[in-house]
Amino acid sequence: MLAGAAMLGGCVTASVDELVFTGVSEQLGDASVVVLGRRHASDYETEPEFVACVGKHISRGANGITVVSEQDFVDALYPWFEPRTAPMHPADINRLLEVEPLRQALSRMKTAYIVWVDGKTTRSDSMGSMACGIGVGGAGCFGFGTWDDVSEYEAVIWDFTRQREVGRIGAAASGQSYMPALVVPIPIIAPVKGTACDGIGEQLLQFFSTK
Amino acid sequence: MSPWKITTSLLASVLLAACGANEVVVQGQFPSPVLEKVPVTLGVHYSEEFRGHEFFDQASARGESDWMVRTGDAQVRMYDALLGGMFERVVHLDELPWAEPVEAAAETVAETGVQTGAASLDAILVPHVDELQYAIPLHTKINVFEVWMRYRYELYSPEGEILADWTMTCYGKTPTAFMQGAEAAVNLAAVMALRDAGANFAISFTKVAEVGQWLEQFQSGADETPRNGKAPGIVPHLPAGREENP
Repeated sequence: MLAGAAMLGGCVTASVDELVFTGVSEQLGDASVVVLGRRHASDYETEPEFVACVGKHISRGANGITVVSEQDFVDALYPWFEPRTAPMHPADINRLLEVEPLRQALSRMKTAYIVWVDGKTTRSDSMGSMACGIGVGGAGCFGFGTWDDVSEYEAVIWDFTRQREVGRIGAAASGQSYMPALVVPIPIIAPVKGTACDGIGEQLLQFFSTK
Repeated sequence: MSPWKITTSLLASVLLAACGANEVVVQGQFPSPVLEKVPVTLGVHYSEEFRGHEFFDQASARGESDWMVRTGDAQVRMYDALLGGMFERVVHLDELPWAEPVEAAAETVAETGVQTGAASLDAILVPHVDELQYAIPLHTKINVFEVWMRYRYELYSPEGEILADWTMTCYGKTPTAFMQGAEAAVNLAAVMALRDAGANFAISFTKVAEVGQWLEQFQSGADETPRNGKAPGIVPHLPAGREENP
């Protein structure tokens, strides 16, 4: 019964908007794509696991796109992609290429596209109550809780070679999760963040597979 | 002891543990920077206070916990990686040369790229932590952990004359969502702050007015003199009994 309940998911509604300026200029070949999180907002932080989820989604595609992990990329090019120093506009790439060791490192990594992901998942509402107790005879909980999560993310695609923005994808998802408890709490989680990740990842995969 | 007593003792231990102080010994990876090296032999002195730097914040309200954040080891590792990648040659100084010239032994830190040998130094850097602040969601009501630090740097000539004195701030934050607990989140925020300190230092060092002025003088002097680590007006410091590396 528990396994069956755990397999249940809360309801999620999602929408994905894509705005493509130009397509992929050429086959990626042995060039790579990197997915990075924007970390410039003062009140939230784009979650590293969401950025990794998008990267994994692209690399799982049939075309075998090489995706460099965020941590490997920022470590290999330290300190040029830290929140303080990361380029904010594609034109800033020129400024980076003036640093000779950095130009060489980028050349070795064969980075063709950078995808900047910005956004967050927040809990918009929650209600219900639950009481748990422990006694000589055992322990248990009773009650019911529910909460709403909202995900809003945007991915901006930069063509590293041509130094321009070539696409922009937005994804929004919301869903309600439940946790009834009759002795044992049974969480029924709405995969809001996962849905947003799948939405952006699928669009990116299509983008990089257009040619 | 009966099972009931064991269960009660365990439960009490767990509840009491929740009231204890949070302690974070900052641990993280600090990469070497990708930069054109400054052609300078730099001595660096980490004071005892710097090497063992820690921050303690006592709980001020019910429901809060004490916090102890130990940044000393991590910041030494960060500066070793940073300076080793920024300067042509870096020499560790246990003591400042003008304080104890003979015992100013240089230590090798091979794994960080810091070279060995007590040599003719062009300048000596002494970093200090001026201030550290942290914020957790309990304080700010936003879902991020934050660490803010202010470093003060002193750059000396080998004879102890102050060449430059400046401060830089750094900041790191991290969301709670993917973390296992508050201590891990504060650790990551501190690592981000240290990486930011390195980034700020790396891109700003030559832009500090006094440093830029000194570098200009140093390099123009080096152009006139065969490059053997000595610039006009800078007398190399050679601790007694030690020879300069070729």
